[in-house]
Amino acid sequence: MDSSSRQKPFKEPLGKKRKEVDMGRRFIVILAALAVAANCVWAQDLALKGGTILTITNGTIENGTLVIQNGKITAVGKNVKIPSGVKVIDVTGKYIMPGVIDSHSHIGLTDVNEATDPVTPQIWMWEALEPGADSIRKTLAGGVTTVKAMHGSANVIGGVNVTIKLRYDRPVEELIIPGIRQQLKMALGENPKRVYGSRQRSPSTRMGSAYVARKAFIEAKEYKAKWDKYEKDKASGKKDLTPPKKDLRMETLKMVLEKKLSIDCHTYRADEIVWIINFCKEFDIDLLQLSHCIDGYKVADVMADAGVFYGGWVDWWGFKEEAYDGCPYGMQIMHDAGVKIVINSDSPVEGRYLFRVAAKVLKYTDIPENEVLKMITLNPAESLELGDRIGSLEKGKDGDIAVFDKHPLDTTTKCLMTIIEGEIFFDYSKESVTAKGGSQ
Amino acid sequence: MRRVTLYVLVVFFLLARVEVSAAADTILIKNGTIVPINGGAKTTGDLLIENGKIVKIGTRIQAPAGAKVIDASGKFVYPGIVAVMTAVGVTGYPGAGNDTDEVGTSTPHMDPYDAINPEDECIEVTRLGGVTTVQTISGSRSVINGKSVILHLEGDLADKMLVKRYVAQIINMGAREQNKYPSTQPGIVSFLRTKFDQAKEYAKKQSEADKKSQKDKSKKGEDDKESPAQRNLEMEALVPVVTGKVPVIFITTDEVTIRNALEIIKEYKLQGIIRASSGILKYADRIAKENIPVIWAGTSAIPQRWEPFDLNYHTAAVLAEKGILFAFDPGGWGPGNRNVRDITTPASISVAHGLSEKTALEALTINPARILGIEEEVGSLEAGKTANVAIWTGSPIQGRSRVETVIIRGKLIPMTSLQTRLYEKFKKIVNERMKKKK
Repeated sequence: MDSSSRQKPFKEPLGKKRKEVDMGRRFIVILAALAVAANCVWAQDLALKGGTILTITNGTIENGTLVIQNGKITAVGKNVKIPSGVKVIDVTGKYIMPGVIDSHSHIGLTDVNEATDPVTPQIWMWEALEPGADSIRKTLAGGVTTVKAMHGSANVIGGVNVTIKLRYDRPVEELIIPGIRQQLKMALGENPKRVYGSRQRSPSTRMGSAYVARKAFIEAKEYKAKWDKYEKDKASGKKDLTPPKKDLRMETLKMVLEKKLSIDCHTYRADEIVWIINFCKEFDIDLLQLSHCIDGYKVADVMADAGVFYGGWVDWWGFKEEAYDGCPYGMQIMHDAGVKIVINSDSPVEGRYLFRVAAKVLKYTDIPENEVLKMITLNPAESLELGDRIGSLEKGKDGDIAVFDKHPLDTTTKCLMTIIEGEIFFDYSKESVTAKGGSQ
Repeated sequence: MRRVTLYVLVVFFLLARVEVSAAADTILIKNGTIVPINGGAKTTGDLLIENGKIVKIGTRIQAPAGAKVIDASGKFVYPGIVAVMTAVGVTGYPGAGNDTDEVGTSTPHMDPYDAINPEDECIEVTRLGGVTTVQTISGSRSVINGKSVILHLEGDLADKMLVKRYVAQIINMGAREQNKYPSTQPGIVSFLRTKFDQAKEYAKKQSEADKKSQKDKSKKGEDDKESPAQRNLEMEALVPVVTGKVPVIFITTDEVTIRNALEIIKEYKLQGIIRASSGILKYADRIAKENIPVIWAGTSAIPQRWEPFDLNYHTAAVLAEKGILFAFDPGGWGPGNRNVRDITTPASISVAHGLSEKTALEALTINPARILGIEEEVGSLEAGKTANVAIWTGSPIQGRSRVETVIIRGKLIPMTSLQTRLYEKFKKIVNERMKKKK
């Protein structure tokens, strides 16, 4: 058994459209599906009745009803007939929105940074995933249903992130969203410089980081060429072939070159933003999100042309040199230029109230409310290539819902209920300190 | 000679007066919803500012000649926010520009006054968020950190910004040293006792020396008195603390550090203030009984695994219920936090989880002023107080509310900062590039 086949059953669910699924894995999937069907653990039928529904894609429905069957939304509207046998929750006077999505988080992980080498693409974050982590439970209380749990920013090329649904304390397979393309974390600027520079290692400059990234991908191209030739020769029936040596770091970068993985890059300064966009063009790899992206507004047009998502905060600034030009008004420039904006927490603290952070966009810009709500729902869904599954309340989409007592952009609101595919994972009336008979 | 001196003095005072009236505007805010705080009722009306002070609040106030009139119809007039535990003015540019946290376990003599930079970009950014007065501290990473000052966020020289020089000492009950004493909680408590005992001893010696020198003076009537005990700047900074003249803020991290801070406050009869981020509810009754003010910094702290998710969101409501005088803390300090304007977020969270909006607003304005002994000057809209006023589009606890006008010491503040300048600059650059591409 070589190293690659040992890895296979674990890595496969993370890759996109892998055709050669081995029989063993198929069997496991069927078995799991049967187990689910038998127990009906996660797919529940549920109807939310009487609330104000913020659909994100089709306006606001007053006094509407939303039906979830088998984990999917089957009806949204004003005059919806609730099928018999469906559990009904009265949410009269409350607000219903899609579950909040945080596409830059580090919750639910036992480890974040493999800060021992500037290039560690052999790291897969799902192997640090702890479904019973308290951070997941606390985050659920903020209406969050999906997060991208990420590698840290110590390395120029970090690990492969994992996008999860916050099914607290369930088996890991129930958290990882199957069949989607995961994203490799890259990081530029001060962090890799500091981490390796302070150890008298390269990279200690932005030039060094650029070199490290370029060298790794050039090596990966050569690695891929060797394997492609081998596979081609094998397919054409050539005999006595010796396969090239496996290298787990290169295996991941090969997947990036084959577009089975995409990139989320941590950037602050405008020059870094432009640099990584050009770099990804040079190697023909897919750059989906620029995380933090403090200076994004300065090069909004460049980002819009590249079709890359801004994933950052609203008003944080100045906590280090490269964050000094953080500018909450800048979101207006990006919005006007056509950049898709995602608000991220990057923090287990703010990740519990991203809706409240989003409201501050209305303080600093004239961006309409619905577009602001998109920044914590549909836009992050699209940045995760899940726009057809989550991020809005439409028939056929996943039944991922957050219920609030007031409009989610009213900062005196609170989340009352968080639902993932029809199953209630957070209920204020059961978990609040006030529900337990007041404070200690 | 004497006549010349007098003449110079008269000219000086005249000039000084002229300068004050040139700096402060006469401003009439008309038809706004005035939220005075401090027990005053919300009214729709006018507010008149003259010579840096609030002169009158009422209806149909006539604009004095030369007054700037601001129409605040549909807008809300609040007192400027008072932010405690900030590093505004000494944070500067990240890295070498930062001047907080001098090295040493005991540095009570460190005075932020000595490092205030009126050009710190954080000043403009912060005041555009409706924060008009701050407490700036010297640091927080040592056990005994240093003095703190009160600044109005306006003025081209540090002296002009200064309201009060030594407003409180800052002690961090959780600042364990690594590989040296004190590296444990009992070590920190013992370290503090030793320092306070020394300070009391020093104060005693100084007062004895003073008495003696006065006696000697009256005996000999000349300057050949004995010199007082040798000066020790560290002890000098602690004397007003141990004699109860200057308050001391105890940064606490959990219930143990709170308990020990309360013990020390009692033992040394200090003017103690507890800054808490966790564990406060366990001592809320005692704190209420002992009348100790609280700076609540834990609203957004994540509760322990076994604690309900909203324990900290709900804490301000409990503090209010128990009648404890508390203020919100922007949630961080020193080089890491220049986002002091976000002090409204803990207030929003607390209101969402049971605190009344009225108390939340007090905890951003009059309460911090009371805790730091500047309530006669700022923290509410009342005739006679310093004219620190912000006109908002809505309640400050709504994340979407904007600050449209800021007045500090009666001066209309330009609504520009590093960030508005960056916005204007790059809006133009990006637009021009986009035009060219078309």
